[in-house]
Amino acid sequence: MIIRELIEKIEGEAELDFTFNEGKIEDVRISFAFYRGMEEILVGKDARDALVITPRVCGICNHAHLIAAVEAIENGYENAGLKVELSSKAKAIREFTLSCELMQNHMTWFYMTILPQFEKLIGEASGENHALKASYFSSTITKALSIFAGQWPHSSYAVPGGVTCDPTYVDVMQAENLVDESIRFYEEMVIGIPLDKYLEIDSNAFLYDLDGDLARVLHLMSMNEMSDMGQSHDRFIAFGESSLFKAGKSMKTRVYEVDSNYVKESIQKSTVAKAVTYKHKLYEVGPLARAMVSKEPMVKHLHKRYKDSILTRVFARVHEVALLLTRSKELLKNLRLDEPSCSLDKELMIDDFEGVGVVEAARGSLIHKTTVKEGLISKYEIIVPTQWNLSHGDDNENGIAIEAMVGASSTEEATFIFRTFDVCSVCTTQ
Amino acid sequence: MTSQTSYKPKLLWLQSITCNGNTHSFLNHPDLASILSHFDLVYHPVLETPFNIEEVARGELDCDILILEGSFRKEGFTRGRVEVSKIVETYAKKVEHIISAGTCATFGGIFKEYDPEHISGFCFDAEERTERYEIYASKLISLPGCPIHPRWLSYVLMMLVKGNPIPIDELHRPQELYGITVHTGCTRNEYFEWKIDSKGFGLKEGCLFYEQGCQGPYTRGSCNKILWNDTSSKTIVGTPCFGCTEPSFPKTALFSTKTNMGIPATMPLGVPRRAYLTATGIAKSFRIKRFEERIITYDN
Repeated sequence: MIIRELIEKIEGEAELDFTFNEGKIEDVRISFAFYRGMEEILVGKDARDALVITPRVCGICNHAHLIAAVEAIENGYENAGLKVELSSKAKAIREFTLSCELMQNHMTWFYMTILPQFEKLIGEASGENHALKASYFSSTITKALSIFAGQWPHSSYAVPGGVTCDPTYVDVMQAENLVDESIRFYEEMVIGIPLDKYLEIDSNAFLYDLDGDLARVLHLMSMNEMSDMGQSHDRFIAFGESSLFKAGKSMKTRVYEVDSNYVKESIQKSTVAKAVTYKHKLYEVGPLARAMVSKEPMVKHLHKRYKDSILTRVFARVHEVALLLTRSKELLKNLRLDEPSCSLDKELMIDDFEGVGVVEAARGSLIHKTTVKEGLISKYEIIVPTQWNLSHGDDNENGIAIEAMVGASSTEEATFIFRTFDVCSVCTTQ
Repeated sequence: MTSQTSYKPKLLWLQSITCNGNTHSFLNHPDLASILSHFDLVYHPVLETPFNIEEVARGELDCDILILEGSFRKEGFTRGRVEVSKIVETYAKKVEHIISAGTCATFGGIFKEYDPEHISGFCFDAEERTERYEIYASKLISLPGCPIHPRWLSYVLMMLVKGNPIPIDELHRPQELYGITVHTGCTRNEYFEWKIDSKGFGLKEGCLFYEQGCQGPYTRGSCNKILWNDTSSKTIVGTPCFGCTEPSFPKTALFSTKTNMGIPATMPLGVPRRAYLTATGIAKSFRIKRFEERIITYDN
């Protein structure tokens, strides 16, 4: 028996065809219907126009596209023989603004997708307006982002050699206050205890006893025997690096080095989304993958018990906000305003190059590849996180999200598992 | 008891070919709850609503205000398994007001470039009127911008709730928001006046109009009056304006200014070339030391 479900409010929509066998899901086909042609739109444009065009791939992770685009150009310049050295200030500001977007995305997903859908699934409505919490956190943290980047969504403030902003201490202090306010919200609503105390927790049992919305979700998952649900291949990969994230792949208990040259895209039947593999294997990307690769203790603890289940996946995403909030404060505190914002001359032009930009976006590794001839883009490739998680797989094994859904006993259960990957339809159908 | 005055207009937010940027921009509105409290939200692309997209797609729901996001093509793009062009026509006929939110819904925007012959805005194809214009012009308010500013949309929504007339221009843009240019209120205005270009990216000093591609002086919009995220704007942080509210968005070579004989090829909005050259000639004949210095110097 095949049941077709339209999944919406995932930054667009997708069709899922569920095959049931004896009351359990045996297979799922995921399809996206419309391709917008972003990679084609870029061809023929000036190399730097990608900094304006590619954020428009996605209204929610636009800033990650900007950073990937600028790193692709800088990598291209380096490949063409020009040394591009960013000041520590430019690096820190880029990492700060990207962190703000990650936090915005995670909290929006937690409050606007996970909580309402979870309450629906288990039939336990809190009656709270989760969307307003999402909106409050989002407007606070994106305001901090905008102090440096001018606006969110769709900033283009990162340019080859650095950033366009030249902040003063008034700006930095305002940003610090906004991060403090975001921390206050996170402590009060999400974790229920001070952030520093939360980060010292070394026992999982303690997690469930906290106040706040995170503990409530963990508790309800365990009450409803859902903690093991949604396990997949338990293989993780991350390519982007920052002061917080490491690149690598995690399998079993070990972490290995990776090289983005081995990432391969391929066309799939009956969907406009392309599949992505690393050395012919599928991997999960996103906050859980990042935590596994950088061996984040609290996530590793939960993983030991529940593997890559919905519980671990949801926890990893919300927990990453705690790490990012802490890191953001440090980045602002150590900002050297006397350093240059941009180290390349505005007249500088390199007309022929190929470059790759890799960043950790909210949903996982995002890769941009640009090929520039005579100053114009001749080819542009964008590989987005959702492609990794939603690939169909092959004869040997299911795709990551599909494997997670197989075995579920209803479409409601399966679509909730699907949503724990924080699916982004618009990115997938660029 | 419901009195006449407590009636809340029914709001339907429908997406076509989009990146969701307008949706997320609006969700960041600091007064979101108070604004939405004046409306009965029938459907929204991310907020929880009483109806799902498949119910919306049947075209049977009541609705007073239609917000459109994304560019349109006649066929080949569905929502809730129905062609968006069909869904939208059904509701466009029913409603009292249509708001095209963003440059895609208004003029076609970035996504138009993939298939310019078949993709356009709802009532405009760049600046040209589409066949829908004659039918829906009387209801139409254009809010171009990539994305829209949340306060631009709330201005229109609240004016409609209050029953106030909204003065609009020939492209149906509210004059209050688009009667000025992005240049208005820019923190770099002094440098513009004295024709001092910025020496590079990443500096708070200098104007970006002369070399770095800033389209602020000829782009309609209130980005530097009603600040982004209530705090800043592109030009304040040293990023050129890319003209994202204009029917021509996106142009190319966005980080460099096209010039004729060293003079920007496009003049500030409505300014005759001769007037600009005269003012420039005078401004440039003086050398003002203050504009050549850094505003803040840090001792190391």
